[in-house]
Amino acid sequence: MSAISQRRPWWLALAVIVIGAVWLQQGYALPDAAGYGGVGPGAFVMLVGLGLILLGLALMAQIARGASFEPQEAESAEADAAPSYQALAFAIAGAGIPLLTMQSLGFPLTAMLSFVLVTHAFGSRRLVFDAVIGLTLGGVCWAGFSWLGVTLGGALPLAGW
Amino acid sequence: MDAFDSLMAGFGVALQPAHLLWAFVGSLLGTAIGVLPGIGPALTIALLLPVTVKLAPTAAFIMFAGVLYGAMYGGSTTSILLNTPGESGSMMTALEGNRMARAGRGAAALATAAIGSFVAGTLATLALTFLAPAIAELAFVFGPADYFGLMLLAFTSVSVVMGASRVRGFIALFLGLALGVVGIDGPSGQARLAFGSPDLLDGIDITVVLVSLFAVGEILYVASRYRSAPPAVNPLAGGHWMTRQDWQRSWKPWLRGTALGFPIGALPAGGSEVPTFLSYTIERRLSRHQDEFGKGAIEGVAGPEAANNASAAGVLVPLLTLGLPTSATAAVLLAAFQSYGLQPGPFLFINSADLVWGVIASLYVGNLMLLVLNLPLVGVWVRLLLVPRPYLYAGILVFAMVGIWGVGTSWMDLLLMFVIGLAGYVMRVYDFPIAPVLIGLILGPMAETQLRRALAIGEGNPLVLMTSPLSATLIVLAVAVLCLPMLLRKLKAGA
Repeated sequence: MSAISQRRPWWLALAVIVIGAVWLQQGYALPDAAGYGGVGPGAFVMLVGLGLILLGLALMAQIARGASFEPQEAESAEADAAPSYQALAFAIAGAGIPLLTMQSLGFPLTAMLSFVLVTHAFGSRRLVFDAVIGLTLGGVCWAGFSWLGVTLGGALPLAGW
Repeated sequence: MDAFDSLMAGFGVALQPAHLLWAFVGSLLGTAIGVLPGIGPALTIALLLPVTVKLAPTAAFIMFAGVLYGAMYGGSTTSILLNTPGESGSMMTALEGNRMARAGRGAAALATAAIGSFVAGTLATLALTFLAPAIAELAFVFGPADYFGLMLLAFTSVSVVMGASRVRGFIALFLGLALGVVGIDGPSGQARLAFGSPDLLDGIDITVVLVSLFAVGEILYVASRYRSAPPAVNPLAGGHWMTRQDWQRSWKPWLRGTALGFPIGALPAGGSEVPTFLSYTIERRLSRHQDEFGKGAIEGVAGPEAANNASAAGVLVPLLTLGLPTSATAAVLLAAFQSYGLQPGPFLFINSADLVWGVIASLYVGNLMLLVLNLPLVGVWVRLLLVPRPYLYAGILVFAMVGIWGVGTSWMDLLLMFVIGLAGYVMRVYDFPIAPVLIGLILGPMAETQLRRALAIGEGNPLVLMTSPLSATLIVLAVAVLCLPMLLRKLKAGA
């Protein structure tokens, strides 16, 4: 039996239960009197919360019974291979960097940073080349989509542009 | 006006030069994304949504229809030449198509796939043309309880059919439902689950969820398990286009594939995987050349490819007539309709007849364009696969950022992109299906509205949901979809 099929993701079931509990509590806090026929804005929210709690418990039961949790097949990825956490960390950084830089550095530079981090995660080590491509792509996207009417903010808000 | 007259009026719309151009752009884009990994029709349409703000809805939907059909065509090219299906409906094509390519018959495989897709796409569009108005008429009798029953059926079938286990399917669905209730509740004006953030009062945008789950989740997942081997393309050199015998062996599978693909595509959670698999199995059983299966039987390409394209038209039937999305792509199309202030359903055929019939007519046009585009341009499509993966995935992330930041230049959307993207990664690692999240997110608020209307009519009595024969039947069907596999398993174990 492989390490993957022996995984017991208890934390996942717990996370589902916690989300369900939050939704249940939030739904409960909403006034039912605001609705018609006794059904207020909280009823469906509570139903969803309760459903998630029950499903979280069912997932726990599955985990306890030893259900397998195999990673999905994807093109260019080996589902059975051990994950590279370093690559994952770079890709996560690429997805997370806009949170820190988008409002100050603007779209083109943020796109460049994300581009470089993701290409690095995929094994590219040509930092300058990747940065040039990322900046070009970000700049073209910013100019092109802004021209099409999509609001992407200033090119470099920090400099007032 | 009957369906034929409406279709002719639709051709008047679809054949306008600007609409022909958008159909061409959509077909081209669709084929490209069908060829490329990591990006599918649902994600492409979601990414195009902010870009199409300046387009008239008819032009936008003609382009989206081209994307939907083009992706089906593009998927077959990579299946045959590389043994890597660009989208899930082309998996069965890869089995025989790639063997044919390895045996030097790649050109014949590509031809039967393209012509079969054209035949199936055209026949299925014909069925859509004449069935859709009739179903839309039927939908006028639907009351709130019936609509809720229909959505319940969609929820259960999507959760049961997609994914490794029902529990995981339902968790994905309920996560979508949970995201769908965020924001101001329409009837009462109450803020729900906004956690004090004004950005969440408008709810969570479908584009943000879809792009994060499909694009960001996929990028994180592939990056962590990246296989850097270059694709091995089977050359077309020495191949022949279809011989007389190939035509004789292909035409029946095309028709059978169409007959399977269209109705199954129209069912909730029918999708393209089930009809293509069924088509392959049937062709294998009916073929006089059973010994060739597994070595490159042309029937194994012709049938599944036809089923794949026919299912794409089938998906449009419940979407246009009932406003019911049965796949991730249909869910995004529904969101696209809503972004233009349009609600698919019976009234769409009355209030926006130009748009509906223009889009249906454009499917015929798009099919013809794709046939012309695909065969001569195979070399160009294959070359797309040579784009280095680091740049392909990094580029997808940049476009995902355009889609998300372009929704409302909101920091909250970027935070949601990050969190939902991580969730998409976890879902892939632990084999949770993605599509039910979208179905839950889009249909959840509609189901809630119909449930509340029904309960208001019944003065709070939940039995009101069972008083209409239609809603009772739909709810019983939903329960059956949920329980039948369990019962069958128990019966099998007891036998």
